[in-house]
Amino acid sequence: MVYLRSLFLIIAGFAAGINAKSSTGDSVLVIVEPKQQDNYNLFFSGLKEQGYDLTFRAPKAEAPALIEYDVPAFAHVIVLASETKVFARDITPQSLVQLLAKKTNLIVALSPKQTPLTSLAAEFSLTLPPPGTPLVSYFPAREGPANVIPVSVPAKHTILSPNLHPVWFSGVPHTIGNNPLLVPILRAPAESFASETDGGSADSLVDSAERGGEGLWAGSQQGLVTGFQTLDGSRITWVGGADVFSDEYAKKEVSKGVPSGNLQFARDVAKWTFQETNVLRIDRTTHNRVNSTESLDQYTTNDQIEYAAYISKYDSKTGNWAPCTCLKDLQLEFTMLDPHIRTALLPVAAEPGKYATTFRAPDRHGVFKFVINYKRKGMSFLESSTTVAVVPPRHDGYPRFLSAAWPYYTGAISTSVAFFLFSAVWLASEAREKKAKGHKAE
Amino acid sequence: MPTAYPLPTNLSPATVANTASLIRIVALALISGAAIASRLFAVINFESIIHEFDPWFNYRATRVLASKGFYEFWNWFDPTAWYPLGRVVGGTVYPGLMATSGVIYNLLHAINLPVDIRNICVLLAPGFSALTAWATYMFTKEMKDASAGLLAAAFIGIVPGYISRSVAGSYDNEAIAIFLLMFTFYSWIKALKQGSALFGTIAAVFYFYMVAAWGGYAFITNMIPLHALVLILMGRFSSRLYVAYSSWYAIGTLASMQVPFVGFQPVKTSEHMAALGVFGLLQIISFAQLVRSHVSSQQFQRLLYVGVATIGVLGAVAFAGLTYKGWIAPWTGRFYSLWDTGYAKKYIPIIASVSEHQPTAWPSFFMDLQFLIFLFPAGVILCFRELRDEHLFVIIYAVVASYFAGVMVRLMLTLTPVVCVASAVALSTLLDTFVDPTESEAIEDNQNENGTSTPPTNGTNGTNNGTVATSTAASSKKASKKTGGAAEGMTLSDILAPASAPKTKPRGIYGLDTRFMVIFNTICMLAFFVSHCTWVTSSAYSSPSVVLASQNQDGSQHIIDDFREAYYWLRQNTAEDAVVMSWWDYGYQIAGMADRPTLVDNNTWNNTHIATVGKAMSSPEEVAYPILRKHDVSYVLVIFGGLIGYSGDDINKFLWMVRIAQGVWPNEIQEPSYFTPQGEYKVDDHASPAMRNSLMYKMSYYRFAELFGGGQAMDRVRQQQVPKVGPTLDYLDEAFTSENWIVRIYEVKKEDPLGRDLKSANAFAQGKKRKRTRPAVRRRAVV
Repeated sequence: MVYLRSLFLIIAGFAAGINAKSSTGDSVLVIVEPKQQDNYNLFFSGLKEQGYDLTFRAPKAEAPALIEYDVPAFAHVIVLASETKVFARDITPQSLVQLLAKKTNLIVALSPKQTPLTSLAAEFSLTLPPPGTPLVSYFPAREGPANVIPVSVPAKHTILSPNLHPVWFSGVPHTIGNNPLLVPILRAPAESFASETDGGSADSLVDSAERGGEGLWAGSQQGLVTGFQTLDGSRITWVGGADVFSDEYAKKEVSKGVPSGNLQFARDVAKWTFQETNVLRIDRTTHNRVNSTESLDQYTTNDQIEYAAYISKYDSKTGNWAPCTCLKDLQLEFTMLDPHIRTALLPVAAEPGKYATTFRAPDRHGVFKFVINYKRKGMSFLESSTTVAVVPPRHDGYPRFLSAAWPYYTGAISTSVAFFLFSAVWLASEAREKKAKGHKAE
Repeated sequence: MPTAYPLPTNLSPATVANTASLIRIVALALISGAAIASRLFAVINFESIIHEFDPWFNYRATRVLASKGFYEFWNWFDPTAWYPLGRVVGGTVYPGLMATSGVIYNLLHAINLPVDIRNICVLLAPGFSALTAWATYMFTKEMKDASAGLLAAAFIGIVPGYISRSVAGSYDNEAIAIFLLMFTFYSWIKALKQGSALFGTIAAVFYFYMVAAWGGYAFITNMIPLHALVLILMGRFSSRLYVAYSSWYAIGTLASMQVPFVGFQPVKTSEHMAALGVFGLLQIISFAQLVRSHVSSQQFQRLLYVGVATIGVLGAVAFAGLTYKGWIAPWTGRFYSLWDTGYAKKYIPIIASVSEHQPTAWPSFFMDLQFLIFLFPAGVILCFRELRDEHLFVIIYAVVASYFAGVMVRLMLTLTPVVCVASAVALSTLLDTFVDPTESEAIEDNQNENGTSTPPTNGTNGTNNGTVATSTAASSKKASKKTGGAAEGMTLSDILAPASAPKTKPRGIYGLDTRFMVIFNTICMLAFFVSHCTWVTSSAYSSPSVVLASQNQDGSQHIIDDFREAYYWLRQNTAEDAVVMSWWDYGYQIAGMADRPTLVDNNTWNNTHIATVGKAMSSPEEVAYPILRKHDVSYVLVIFGGLIGYSGDDINKFLWMVRIAQGVWPNEIQEPSYFTPQGEYKVDDHASPAMRNSLMYKMSYYRFAELFGGGQAMDRVRQQQVPKVGPTLDYLDEAFTSENWIVRIYEVKKEDPLGRDLKSANAFAQGKKRKRTRPAVRRRAVV
């Protein structure tokens, strides 16, 4: 499977030409209200420069379809129509989930309004505040409405470029559930909260607290932009407000002389979502006995087994997969129901991209699996499972002439010798008797 | 001497003997033919197909043996069975059956007869039944004479009790084991009679073959020592017994240890200790006799006896000590269940769940043995009349086997041979008496006692017995006196033993009319027996159970082929390494016909693994799902008979799954919760919640009600009305349902890519609104 997939990816990469920067394809469908399309020109042109092929579709337009004949028509889909209440028939929460299951990547923008997408967020363990309560913050002191907030970006992040300028945000926050597949990208500032924007009176604050009940949507535990990587490897990014991508915020200065980080932020989010960065794969795995290169279907108990995995990382600059020695915490499990052996799979210095280990097969026969199950937030999941049988030694595979068995050997040999001697003596004496009898008879 | 009808007088004894032996050979050949032919109903009515469950494994193993050779078979590790534990087939199988077929296969191919291995497997059992008939003939000949032997051979050839396990296609260990059993016993009797080390060795060799072929060899392992022990206790110890037993035990035990599956069991388990103990006892006794014959002093002899007794007691104590320390394995559960029929149900439900381990119902004795069951006691009593050593064997065998046959249905098989032998002895005695033309005059002398019951064709056998008779003269005289006393008041022995009351007027059979009446009657009984056997064989024992047959309204046969349909679906539509979970009954068939890995199969060696499957089947979906995923299960297969009334389906076996699972997880699975509060086993509206939520129930009745188009859905096995709104499945997808719904296959869904549980994922996919959730409280409560 791994081979097939990688082969497919390589072919897909060639087909797409040098321009292709995503590891899974460069066709992008943007679902956006035609009126607002021009608001995101900088973002779109950035994508086009990278080599993406953008198609635009109004939320209510019937074509182009998301899925044709059960095959997704685009490699990536951006849903910026965050305030649209009624979509065309084929754009439903269910069809978006279906897209994800078919390895399409999504960027979905939300808004304080209640839309079909709001209910979809719940499927991803994201909880949104009640409708009509955007994020509000009065810090830092600034001009402009309280719901347009500069959010500082963590300096070091697996997805974002380092040292980004703060990002303008306006929209709705969400709380992040305990689903391990979620990848928080941007968190709300500590001073922010979700509230109705009627000037931010104390009453409205109390109101929203009451409506939200005990869980007040406030503080830095909330997410604003959150990624999600499905078990199949497709990625979806939830953005609290479509304006993050807008030209207006990209150009808006955070403070005097400091430009906003929105444009770069949008690019980073798109890169991650469209499988350009943090994309790993296992090219192949090999297993064999130590001192042999032949891959066996079955090993004998207590064999010394060598296992190697070749891992490469996608390089979006060249569009190639390059061997990656970047993983330090890779593990191999040798599993039958439960892992019988769990050992570190360390990079081999001589061969980039190769991770290898040697271990002794357990003293237990059965059907075992070599399992690599590497799941880290923001990275592609590495999963590999190879089934082999571990069998007891062959009938002639056991050690012979054990020194511990000498008492038994002695017993067997002495009995045999004694029996032989006894028979010889017996026969001899019988002959003599007969002779004696014969003599008597004479 | 007057005769009832004229006998030819101008025949030389040689002619008579030659003709008799020719007739015997022809009769044996005909009996073999009948034995084979009557087992072919299955092939004629259905097709040349392997039957039932275990034979499918034997067939698969034989194919491996035939294609890859013996050593590969010996080292065969089957990774597809008991997934993921695997099965070391070479070390856990009795290879005798496969080796036999393999030898036949190679032999036929060596002489350029390219016979398919399947046909060899199908026809092996009928072929060996002919050999069984011959072995039974030889055995019975030792008991009485050749004519009794022929009768016994005819009986065993067609008796349903044996046919049930040896029809064509019933490729099971028992197919060859009964022949080996009878031949081992014959060799043992022969060795005992002649004191022959050669026959003792032959017995040992066939014992080895038997050990290699069937787990039931323990029956021989205990029968022969028991016989020897009884002989010793009756004061019949002789050097012949010593030679026969020692040669059999020493060679047989060493040989049996060469079978990998048996290994060191003969010296380590309690089942084999009787044989070892008797062996030791024989050595002690013979040593004592040796010393006694060389030592004259009375006191020393007494000392010797004390010494011998001490050794015996010490041996017993040592045995107990070793058992206590665990060096000798204690009795196994299967053994206990032979004495306490309720034991298995309480402690090892997996044994009790097998239908052939149930106690035998009375009618099945008649069904399997017909009039032999009435003749059987008579034959056993006749054995008491002479009570030679070999007769003791039959008596012990009869008592032991009758008990076992009453305890377990499948052990009817070991009873059948002795029933045939004893009945043949009885019937042939009857016929001898009434066919014999001599009419006794007034008072006969004692010499004729045996003469009346011995036919003229008994010449060769009589001399054979002569040597034995003289050597055991003393004991048998005693014995015959005793039995003579005991037999008083029995009409049969009154008739048959006129000499027991010589003082009264002469007894005997006079005239042709009485003879004719009795013989006619006997022939009628035999004729009915034949027709009964034929009927039972064709109607009850020839169904392959892989293919079912029913009758159309016009009486023609309608074949229900759901099993193969479903297995071939699996074979052709699923990935080669897709693991199929089913109840263990179907494991061998799935492996054999669908060629897919299974979790559990009919080799029920791992109770926990079976209990795991039982737990998955009897738990709700969300509990079962992690179990299925952990075991890499791709498909779940259930048997459902509710639509056409196939009563052997999984819902009827369901309680056993629950019981077995309960044995391992008593806190999670409880049998009572699967019954209604009234204690009934229901599948209708009143079914208990545990029942209705169980995976088994859901898989069985999924979309069943839809089939009735709004009408009341009826389960035709349990005669209950199934709820109109059937169960729903979230974690499984229906993949295949066979024509008559007997086999239903479900695919296990993959985990939801979004990490949700499949129930809510399903609800979402169906467009159901999720309840609005609130974020978790992060504030700490004020203490």
